[in-house]
Formats: sequence, C-alpha cells, structure tokens
Amino acid sequence: MITRANTGILVLALLLMPLVASAAELTAPKLIQPVLTDDKEGMMKSPQGVACNKEGAFIVADSGNGRLLRYSYKEDVVKGGGEIRPAQLSYPQRVQLNSKGDMYVLDGKSHKIAHLNPQGNFVAFLEPQGIPGVAPVPKSFKIDPEDNIYILDIFSERVLMLDPDGKYLKSKAFPSPHGFITDLAVTWSGDIYLVDSTNCMVLKSAKGADAFTPLTKSMKADMDFPGYMTIDSKGTIYLVDQDGGGIIALGPDGNIRTRMLTMGVKPGYLFYPGQICLSESGTLFVADRDNNRVQLFEMPK
Amino acid sequence: MNFSHARIAVVVANLVLGTCLFSHAQDTELKYKLKPGAAGKLCLQCHDTFKDKLAKPSIHTPLKKGECIGCHNPHASDHGKLLAADMTNICATCHKGMIPADAKSVHKPVGEGTCTKCHDPHSAPAKFNLLKGGNDLCFECHKGMGETLTKVKFKHFPVTKGCLTCHDPHASAKSASLLKDAVPALCLGCHKPDKPNFAKAHMGYPVTGARCTGCHDPHGSDRNGILYNNVHKPVMSKMCAQCHEANNSATPLKTKKGGYELCRGCHSTLINGMFAKNRVHWPILDKQGCLSCHNPHATKQKGLIKADLITTCGKCHQDTIRRQEKSLTKHEPIKDGKCISCHDPHASDNLFLFNQASVIDLCGTCHDWQKHSTHPIGEKKRDPRNKNLYLQCLSCHRAHGTEYKHFIPFPTTSDLCTQCHEQFKR
Repeated sequence: MITRANTGILVLALLLMPLVASAAELTAPKLIQPVLTDDKEGMMKSPQGVACNKEGAFIVADSGNGRLLRYSYKEDVVKGGGEIRPAQLSYPQRVQLNSKGDMYVLDGKSHKIAHLNPQGNFVAFLEPQGIPGVAPVPKSFKIDPEDNIYILDIFSERVLMLDPDGKYLKSKAFPSPHGFITDLAVTWSGDIYLVDSTNCMVLKSAKGADAFTPLTKSMKADMDFPGYMTIDSKGTIYLVDQDGGGIIALGPDGNIRTRMLTMGVKPGYLFYPGQICLSESGTLFVADRDNNRVQLFEMPK
Repeated sequence: MNFSHARIAVVVANLVLGTCLFSHAQDTELKYKLKPGAAGKLCLQCHDTFKDKLAKPSIHTPLKKGECIGCHNPHASDHGKLLAADMTNICATCHKGMIPADAKSVHKPVGEGTCTKCHDPHSAPAKFNLLKGGNDLCFECHKGMGETLTKVKFKHFPVTKGCLTCHDPHASAKSASLLKDAVPALCLGCHKPDKPNFAKAHMGYPVTGARCTGCHDPHGSDRNGILYNNVHKPVMSKMCAQCHEANNSATPLKTKKGGYELCRGCHSTLINGMFAKNRVHWPILDKQGCLSCHNPHATKQKGLIKADLITTCGKCHQDTIRRQEKSLTKHEPIKDGKCISCHDPHASDNLFLFNQASVIDLCGTCHDWQKHSTHPIGEKKRDPRNKNLYLQCLSCHRAHGTEYKHFIPFPTTSDLCTQCHEQFKR
C-alpha cells in the first residue's frame, strides 16, 4: 500500500537522482588520452614511472626499453616523446623532477638513484653523504618542494632525508612490526607517509615526530596491493592498487573516499599500474605498465 | 600438608560433592515432579540399551547419577535428541571455562562446540569419555601427523608418551598450536641448558632465548637431534661461526653481515647472477634478505624454504593466493603450490619474474596445444583494444584465476570475445 509518507520519499528520491548521478561522475577521472609511442612511433614497453611538473613537462620511465621519454602536455595537446638514454641507466623504474627540472631516476638493476640535468645528461648517482650505517637500498624516493630528497631504504628499514646536495639531514625508522613497505610520500608541510603493501595500510609521521604510526587500519577488503602513493595539496592520499588495477583516494584522516578506474586493456582502463603523477592543474598521469602506455586523465574538480 | 590433613580434605570434598549431587537429584525430582526415587531409573525403563553404555569404563557423571535431564528435556525441545540446548552449546552449560578469556589458540572442535568429535556424551572406553585413548584419537583428524610419526627415524620421546604432554586439547592461554607453554619455555622444562650435552650440541651458543622449533621438528625427523630433514650445510657441520659471531663474543648470535650480504659469502654465483637481472625480487634486498623466504638452519622444505610455497609466497602475495582460491577453475601449478613453475623467486629480466620472456612460450611449457590453437596469437597479432599489446595467452586469461570459469575475466565467453569482436555484440 502506498501511503502519503511513502509517496513523499519516492518523490524526494526522484528529485535527488540526478544529483547522485552527477556526484558519481565527479569522482571519476576522465580520460584525456593514452600515450603509446615515442616521437619516432616506437612503442613503449612496460613503463613503470612517470613524473610531471607545473610547467607541463612529463617524463616517462619506459622501463622495458631501458630509457626515459620526455613529453609536454600544454593546452590539451601532448607533444614530444624524445628519448633520453644515459648509459648508466638500464632499467628505470621511478622518476621524479625537482624544482629546477633535474631528473632523478631509480634504476631497478643497479638499485641506485641517478641524477640527470634538465637536458637529460647524466650528472651522477646519488651518493648520500654522512649517513649513519650502510649505504641505502632504495625501493622508492620522493623530492619535496625545497628539493630535499627522501629515500625509502628497505635494507636499513628507514626513511633517509637528504638535502638537495645529498647531505644527510635525518632519518626515521620503519615502524615495528611492519609488512613490506613499498613507497613513501611527503606533504608540503613535511609530514611523511608510508604505504605497507602487504598489510594494505598507510602510516604517518608528522614533521616533528620521530616515529611512524598507523593512519589507517588494514584495507585488504578494499584493495589488493597498493604499490605507489602520492598526496595532493589538499592532503588527499592517492594509492595505486597495482594488482587490482585502480586508484584509491583517502582523506587526510585516512578514510577511504573513493576508488577510481578499473582493471582492463581498453583506453581508460589500467593493467598493473606503476607510478602516477598529479599535476597542479589537475591532470593525472598514470604509468600503465602492463598496457605498455601512459594515460592522462582529468581529475574531478 | 601432611597425610592426615590430606585425608580430611578428601573427606570434606566428598561430603560437599555428595551433598551437591543429592540436592541436584532432589531439584530434578522437584522440577519435573517425579515420583520419589524415579530419577535415575525412569529413562532406562525404555532406553534399555543404556545398560550397555553404563557398563563402559568412563561414564559421564550425569548419566552415572541418572540425571538424563541434565542434558535432555524429557518432554519437548527445539533441538535434536531432545537436548535442552543447542548441540554446540550444551556442554558449556556445565563445562565452563574450557577456553581462557585471552586464549592464544583454541582447538577447532572446542571453538565450534563439536565436543562429540572427541568425547562420547554418555560413556566411552577411555578416560574423560574420550572416543579413543592416547594419540590414536588425535590421529583420527591429524592423519598426516600419525603417518609421519610411523615413518620417522627419530621420534621426540614426549610424542610417544602422548600429544597431551605438550599440547592442551582444548585451548592455550600461553601459545599458538595449543602448546601448554610458549617455546622455548616449554622445551626448557625438560631440556636443561646447563647440562654439558646441551651446550655441546649447540656449540656453546646461548640458544635458550631462541625458538627451538626453528631448527628442531618437535615431533620427530630422520635427522639426529630431530633437526628438520633439510639442514643448512654449516649447521650440519656445526660451523655456526661461519655466519654468527664467535660463541664467546659479546653478541654471539649476531650475524657477521646483514641481509643478502651474509649469504653472498658462500652463494656468490647465485647472488651475483640475481644482480645481473633487471628485476630482483624485492625482499632479497631488504633487511631480512634471503631469510624473508629461507630458514638459515633447517626446514621441512627443500631449498630451506620456510614453508610450502603457497604459505611462503602467500605471506606477501596474499591477494594473488586469494584470487586463486576463489577461482572456479584451478590452475594446476598454483593449486599444487608450484609457483616456481612460472616465476623465478630470485630475479628475472621479465615482468612478474617470469621464467621466460614470452608468455606464449611460458604457457607452452605445459599447454602444448597452444601451438596449434585456432585463435591467432603472437607478436605479429596486435590486440585490437590496445595496439601496444600483442595477442597472447594473458590477453584472454588471468593465470591465477578469476571468479569465472577458464580464468577469463568476464562472466561468459561471449562477453570475452566481444571485447575485440565488437560486431558480434548483442
């Protein structure tokens, strides 16, 4: 039997339906375009890294081809694709840009971080100076707005903080116990976050703090294997679900806000994504590893 | 307490217990308004087979006292066998506290309330109403253990005496695996470290704080000293100092080097080979290094792997193992825990640490039919969905399975095929 109250609820639901639909649209990144080739139509092979900057440049670590590719994305047009192939790099996996346009590249084979100048010429491998203990084995690294370098040293289970010249500033030990920590992120205010991939957890250490504490509980029900992490200027944490083919956004409090994108092969889908980069203008670059491409998305405003 | 005091205590206890049982019988008679003296006799007038049960050595106390209504309702019940409560709860109405509040491990039948897996609720030939006496009862479920113990050359003496020497059959507040105490405290109860033989066997290293079960199989093995069957060569030859600092140093258990660097001392060819590859399995590079997957002393598994590969690999790759468990079609190598059929656990130049560069060649090592498959595959056949991919086995299948049949990522075959053959989409 339809009562007056039921009718009211039904009408309200019908009125709200378009709002709900548009909210769903707002949370989904919109594909701009997949980038498949270099400037000579050579195909990318298993690209694992991508870095971007506010000038519109983006650099791809074309891991399977053992090279970097330099592009620009300005006024809705992707240009470039010129190859950077220093002899010292054989398997680039992660790439970051500092404020001067210098490239820092983690090489999967030598397990070293290479420093390249903005032209793409090899400068040196990063040799941290004055660090306590043994030389680091970097699994990942990040660069903050002041060009300080943060290395995820899995051999000594710590985050090493270096100044732009590679001089040791301080370190923070991984929490105990922990699973396999695969990435870190640094905010503008200097807070450091870790992602524990096997436990699907995010840990945080505020700028002044000495230790990492869990920001989230285990999120195994919501993701398979978070392998990369970045944080935007609003504090939203983006986790790349490598094995699940998606991106999960968490609020600054660690609560899950949404899951974006889906596993697949067609344009707009992801298949074992690696590094992502979120530009200040709201473009999301995804190294879509097993689809042999990088994809550009417009993030919801 | 001297002997006369003990006797007094026994007499008092008997009096208290007798009074309790007498008052309980009285309560029963009152509850069901039984004729005086009917309790303990009335049920047996019909259930005469119980005379046989009452002849068995171990009889459940309520039955012995004729208190059938301790467990059964004589008139009607919502539960089978006219039980006064659910089968999984009824024992706990009297036998409270079988599971400690902070239990570290609970025997599955106890947790599930299926006490009758071990106990007969009426009577049994063995003590405590157990269906069988000694280890035979345990081996009813723990068959593998029973079979192993008949084969092993060296048995741990307490095992032959009885599983309950070390295990609590219900729950343990102190340890996993229902152990009565945590290791090494449990072991040190019998094995005194101050004995010369103990020190000699352990090369003078202070192992009393170590986990004994890291090297020794607590049930038995074919190795002297009940070491696990696969022993690391330096342990076999008692050359602990090859990896550890000297036994008289300040930190004798500390290893001479950390991570993979320690293992490289002997396994240099293997480790140098790994570092020549593009992709090294990341755990090798962390603090634990090789010990992320291997036990440095002794294990049950070949290659000193810590456990079977499903367990060892699944420690980190839980999502992959879960996917296989959910899969409607099982991939044989994964089902059998042979992860290394396809993956190199140390290093590879290929994604997913595949053994071979070509997925088609890799799958072809088992699936030779793919060579004459009718669907075109190979580097010259581009994937219509993404021209940067060529068609290969993983274009349509997920090797670890999906929630659908045949490892395909769509509910039906037509859903899969129309991904590319869009003209046939309905």
